[in-house]
Amino acid sequence: MSPGPAAGRRASAAAQLVRAGSTDPERALRLLRDPALAGVVRGDGEHEFTDATAGLVRALGRTADPDQALLGLVRWAESLTAGLDRDADPAQAQAAAVALDLLRAGDVAQVVGTRARLLAVLGGSLALADHLVRHPRHWTVLAAAVPPDPGELRAELLAAVGADPADPVPVATTGRGGLPPADALRVAYRRRLVGLAGRDLAAADPTTLLHVTSAELADLAAAALEAALAVARSELPGHGPGSWRSCRLAVIGMGKTGGRELNYLSDVDVVYVAEPADGADEADAIAAATRLAAGLQRVCSTPTAEGSLWEVDAALRPEGKAGPLVRTLASHVEYYRRWAKTWEFQALLKARPVAGDAALGRSYVQAIAPMVWSASERERFVADVQGMRRRVESLIPSREADRQLKLGVGGLRDVEFSIQLLQMVHGRSDERLRHSANTLEALDGLAAYGYVGRHDAGELDHDYRLLRSLEHRIQVQRLRRTHVLPTGEADLRRLGRSLGLRGDPVAALEEVWRGTRRDVRRLHEKLFYRPLLTAVSQLSAADARIDAQLSPAAARERLAALGYRDPAGALRHLASLTSGVSRRASIQRTLLPVMLGWFADGADPDAGLLAFRQVSEALAGTQWFLTMLRDAGAAAERLAYVLSAARLPVELLRRSPEAVAVFADDERLAPYDVAEVMADAEAAARRRDDVASAVMAARGVRRRELFRTVVADLVGVRDLAGVGRALADADQALLEVGLAASAREVERRRGAALPTRVLVVGMGRLGGQESGYGSDADVLLVHDPLPGADETQAQQAATEVVAELRRQLSAAGPEPGLEVDADLRPEGRNGPLVRSLAGYRAYYERWAQPWEAQALLRARPVAGDADLGEAFLHLVDPLRWPERGLSEADVREVRRIKARVEAERLPRGADPQRHLKLGRGGTSDVEWTVQLLQLQHAGEHEGLRTTSTPAALTAAVRAGLLAPDDAEVLLQAWDLASRARNAVTLWRGKPGDSLPTQVRDLDGVARLFGFEPGSSQEFEELYLRTTRRCRAVVERVFYGR
Amino acid sequence: MDRQQEFVLRTLEERDIRFVRLWFTDVIGTLKSVAIAPAELEGAFGEGIGFDGSAIEGLSRVSESDMLLKPEPSTFQVLPWRTSDEHQGTARIFCDILTPDGQPARSDPRHVLKRALDRAAQHGYTFYTHPEIEFYLFKGPLQRGAVPEPVDYVGYFDNHPGGTTTDFRREAISVLESMGISVEFSHHEGGPGQNEIDLRYADALTTADNIMTFRTVLKEVAGEQGLYASFMPKPLAGEPGSGMHTHLSLFDGDANAFWEAGAEYQLSRTGRQFIAGILRHAAEITAVTNQFVNSYKRLWSGGEAPSYICWGHNNRSALVRIPMYKPSKGQSVRIEYRALDSAANPYLAFALLLTAGLKGIEEGYDLPDGAEDDVWSLTDAERRAMGIEPLPQSLEHAVGIMERSELVAEALGEGVFDFFLRNKRQEWSDYRAQVTPFELQRYLPLL
Repeated sequence: MSPGPAAGRRASAAAQLVRAGSTDPERALRLLRDPALAGVVRGDGEHEFTDATAGLVRALGRTADPDQALLGLVRWAESLTAGLDRDADPAQAQAAAVALDLLRAGDVAQVVGTRARLLAVLGGSLALADHLVRHPRHWTVLAAAVPPDPGELRAELLAAVGADPADPVPVATTGRGGLPPADALRVAYRRRLVGLAGRDLAAADPTTLLHVTSAELADLAAAALEAALAVARSELPGHGPGSWRSCRLAVIGMGKTGGRELNYLSDVDVVYVAEPADGADEADAIAAATRLAAGLQRVCSTPTAEGSLWEVDAALRPEGKAGPLVRTLASHVEYYRRWAKTWEFQALLKARPVAGDAALGRSYVQAIAPMVWSASERERFVADVQGMRRRVESLIPSREADRQLKLGVGGLRDVEFSIQLLQMVHGRSDERLRHSANTLEALDGLAAYGYVGRHDAGELDHDYRLLRSLEHRIQVQRLRRTHVLPTGEADLRRLGRSLGLRGDPVAALEEVWRGTRRDVRRLHEKLFYRPLLTAVSQLSAADARIDAQLSPAAARERLAALGYRDPAGALRHLASLTSGVSRRASIQRTLLPVMLGWFADGADPDAGLLAFRQVSEALAGTQWFLTMLRDAGAAAERLAYVLSAARLPVELLRRSPEAVAVFADDERLAPYDVAEVMADAEAAARRRDDVASAVMAARGVRRRELFRTVVADLVGVRDLAGVGRALADADQALLEVGLAASAREVERRRGAALPTRVLVVGMGRLGGQESGYGSDADVLLVHDPLPGADETQAQQAATEVVAELRRQLSAAGPEPGLEVDADLRPEGRNGPLVRSLAGYRAYYERWAQPWEAQALLRARPVAGDADLGEAFLHLVDPLRWPERGLSEADVREVRRIKARVEAERLPRGADPQRHLKLGRGGTSDVEWTVQLLQLQHAGEHEGLRTTSTPAALTAAVRAGLLAPDDAEVLLQAWDLASRARNAVTLWRGKPGDSLPTQVRDLDGVARLFGFEPGSSQEFEELYLRTTRRCRAVVERVFYGR
Repeated sequence: MDRQQEFVLRTLEERDIRFVRLWFTDVIGTLKSVAIAPAELEGAFGEGIGFDGSAIEGLSRVSESDMLLKPEPSTFQVLPWRTSDEHQGTARIFCDILTPDGQPARSDPRHVLKRALDRAAQHGYTFYTHPEIEFYLFKGPLQRGAVPEPVDYVGYFDNHPGGTTTDFRREAISVLESMGISVEFSHHEGGPGQNEIDLRYADALTTADNIMTFRTVLKEVAGEQGLYASFMPKPLAGEPGSGMHTHLSLFDGDANAFWEAGAEYQLSRTGRQFIAGILRHAAEITAVTNQFVNSYKRLWSGGEAPSYICWGHNNRSALVRIPMYKPSKGQSVRIEYRALDSAANPYLAFALLLTAGLKGIEEGYDLPDGAEDDVWSLTDAERRAMGIEPLPQSLEHAVGIMERSELVAEALGEGVFDFFLRNKRQEWSDYRAQVTPFELQRYLPLL
């Protein structure tokens, strides 16, 4: 077929459809030619449209989904005319003609609105399109451009069930059209829903109408409840005991119904309050009222031929589902006075009479409201609120996390919760905040009276409206209760178009969604924290967006509710940090609102804030600190976390605040090679003339490494082995530089070169590069006289050098010192501090005990003469890795000493189960077990010749000396106990060897392991179980029992 | 719950109750009681009542002694023997123990049982128990160290008109029933002065609470009649010991999970697996179900004592017995565990029995063949050949087996597990230090 003029025109009809947004113009053309639309679509509908038809196509183009709208239109028109054929009623024929005229009318002003609303419903909601197909003449409800008032809705729905709207206690009779009342109610409800959806879906920007739409939904729900109650009455006897006349029943709307901010489809939350009618018996009345309430719920939610409305949920009532459905007012009051929990008061914020006896409903609200406002004085309020916040933020199925509108941080429920929380905290002292239960109105009030900045409130208002509009649009399509952004292309396209996004609506929608989410995630900063600053500082013009005006008292209330234990102190720190006109104060005003939230999430918010203040003041003269926090991605968040998680980093920072520079980026947290640390320490020492300041400078380098390691550990970029190695390296560097400086000092004093070479051998955790935060440096000290030197002289000089070294490392000073412990030397504390290599040889040849060979397993030269180090290892290797293993007697001796150590070394009063090092199944148990295997078999298996505990365990398994399961148990316990030792020291700020017994300390430690707040007992159980199992293996493998 | 609380507070006023005893149980099963004024109870419902937990064995570590008692309103009862027209009323209420930050204390035996019940609930099961509690009645008052004198010398099921024990049982049962504890059955047992009272079946937590109440009631009623009631497992050498045979059943909703129409003994697969679990772990849990040195003198006294790990249909020598089935009562299928004695801590014992049984279900254990003979009449070699193992022979033996049990450690929680082991090792070592009349009689004349 050759392209001719006809094909061109035909393309133009299709092009018009494409321009209107049709994704399948061929099908659209076919639909337009459908007989049902005969007489509506003019022109030939194939090649060219008339103006009127083009107008219709343009109108379709304004709907969310033109293809869906067109299909709906055809089905509706068909249904309209099909009815016509069947009964040939002239009045109906007339009505149908009028309806179809609507579509023919082109852009005639009088009908264009109605047509737009009709098409909007057909294009935006499959479910409501179905309703219009079933009830084609319900289109007339779309003529109204303004929402009906609540009274009109109530009257109409009552009339639909055959009740008299003028009767204050209406009773249903026969439903409209002869239907059962429940069916008639459903039909009438949906007819009104069509009208409502028409106004909503046809709006150019749904966010501006959101409050109107959600209020109308709540009003419609209230009207339905009233009509359902009328039906329930009709099911009860009209007279005598148990009749509906024996009670007065009020239905109180809660949740979104109470707040007049309902969704298209959600449970309608209610509670019931009832009183006996005059002269009626209370028990009879409550029984009747209970039947009424149950009847009401059944009328609404039981599916009939016309489907169902929604679930009526009365679970927010006193005692929840276990409680009676209906209570008297006095019983409600009594319950809330005595038993209610914090969240119940929060729920009551939204209580509003919606149906039934209006006077009783008003009495209920008047009686309950004062209790709501005093709820924040309750003892457990803060703890409850923390728990509620965590639940709100954590309730999120991870599968949908990215597309959840309602749950998770920044979800709709979080917004609503946060606003309610502020209302409760401040409404107690400021009655002006009590007037509305509606989220947007409450936000407005908080902004109007200075509790939230107007600018922030404006942004949040917009974001909330957008998220809610999205939710509405998602729900209205199929009238399903869902809060998840769909993933299907067509669904996203319809959603995007329904928000007025054109071009590429899917991409545009994703962008709007991402932007809004990013914004809303900062909700807590905007709502909770930023306004706190206004309580403590005069704000410059530049900070005008923080235009809230919080009084100090209000600020204290708020800080307490957010988890700060000393709000007055926190406020002082805030004042100090943010007042003034300096650049520093101005940056901190920007930073602090969000940091306050991070501190509040930490184990000790107050300590975190105080430490931040101290660092900030100490670094007041520098530029880089605040610049780093402002510009360096995660720096501020990590700093806030570290400072509020544990005390050790705070202690370290107090000595040298400039160390916070490590937060700038991950690179600064990366482990340094020991040579690098050494070079730094040497460089620092070289700049000083005297030995004391040289060593102090090297101590500073070690402290810097310690801090880097602490931070890397806390933010999770360094594992246990990495921590152990970094700490050992830092100790090693200090020992090296300290030894060199001490040697120089002794040479200076003696006025001569040293007659001997000196060596420091690392033992224990230092030797194994498995140091913990609290570890001392276990060492052996060795020297070797130079050829021809006098031995006595050499010994004396070496003794002087190591004495100087120990003095310099532990001397008081600004930088943390290092205890050098040489107790593992021959003859222990009775032996000379330093021995010559020959002395070691002589001693070990004659006297060496099994325990000394065992200690040597982890020997590793760490400082001093490298050749001497080689020679020393050459000396001890045959000792620690004896070729023929251990004799039975030696094995027995090792076991005996271990048993003795268990009995004697544990500090007085320590609980053996909780001692991390010497306790049951602690690190020492594992190390002795491994070391015994090493002594026995390292001569034979080279893999066992290592100073590392985990490596030796692996080697023992490989050599077939240890069952893999046993090794796993030992390794788990060693890892857990080692990490727990580190965590205890981190949390306390000073070394600790026992699992804490105080709940708060144990909780702090557990949180360092990633446990949720309040789960200290689970952590304790894990520790006790792991170490118990470990001990059983130790009993078997080490003791051979 | 909250209606219950309201009910309790109302009752306090109506019945003019002057003291409320807060009851809880230590790890060994000793009932503990703190009396408070009624006015304090409302606060206790809300926030709990603080007490020094370090004084209670096994409850908390010394440095963390502040614990909270949280009353469980559904357990509220007026104590009849302390309440009469002229006397001020006293009531009791069982409590859960909480840590200072409001979490359930893992060392609370009640919580141990609740954890086990939760585990059953995850499978959809509720656990019912029905104990037959045996005890001795002696002439009072108690004389420390002396051999006690039974109130009578009649035998099993004997009706002894006008006998002290009949009066006693009538009074005790009426007090129990007035406290809402239904009694199924009562009779004179085999030993002189020995009686048995069976409690009606109920969920395990209620039953455990009831057993604690039962022991108190019996001692109170006995005291009022100048008698002494004892739950000691074996008070008289040469006479039967006092056991607490307990019938166990699992319900899945309203349906008995042990019942299957047409199966052997109408016992379902679930029921068989449950028994298999109990049998396989029986030795591990014995230190708890039979927790005293004295318990083993009952277990190994021959006669009907269930000393060997086996099961049988209506076999009164087996450890687990499947009672005779009544065809009309599908819901009544149950199993009877016969080792338990009347001095066990019922919370811990039930928790372990349930956990062992559930383990059998979870892991699908196979049930070995049932024993048809009187197991006592077999020779050791025969029993060995049939794969029938003995229960532990002594407390020391039982503790040694328990300490290697992951099942027991997990069910009790590490804290209770460790405390229990230490406590029992100490008991054994104290016992071993004794020089007994047996030794004096046998050795002194000779050596």
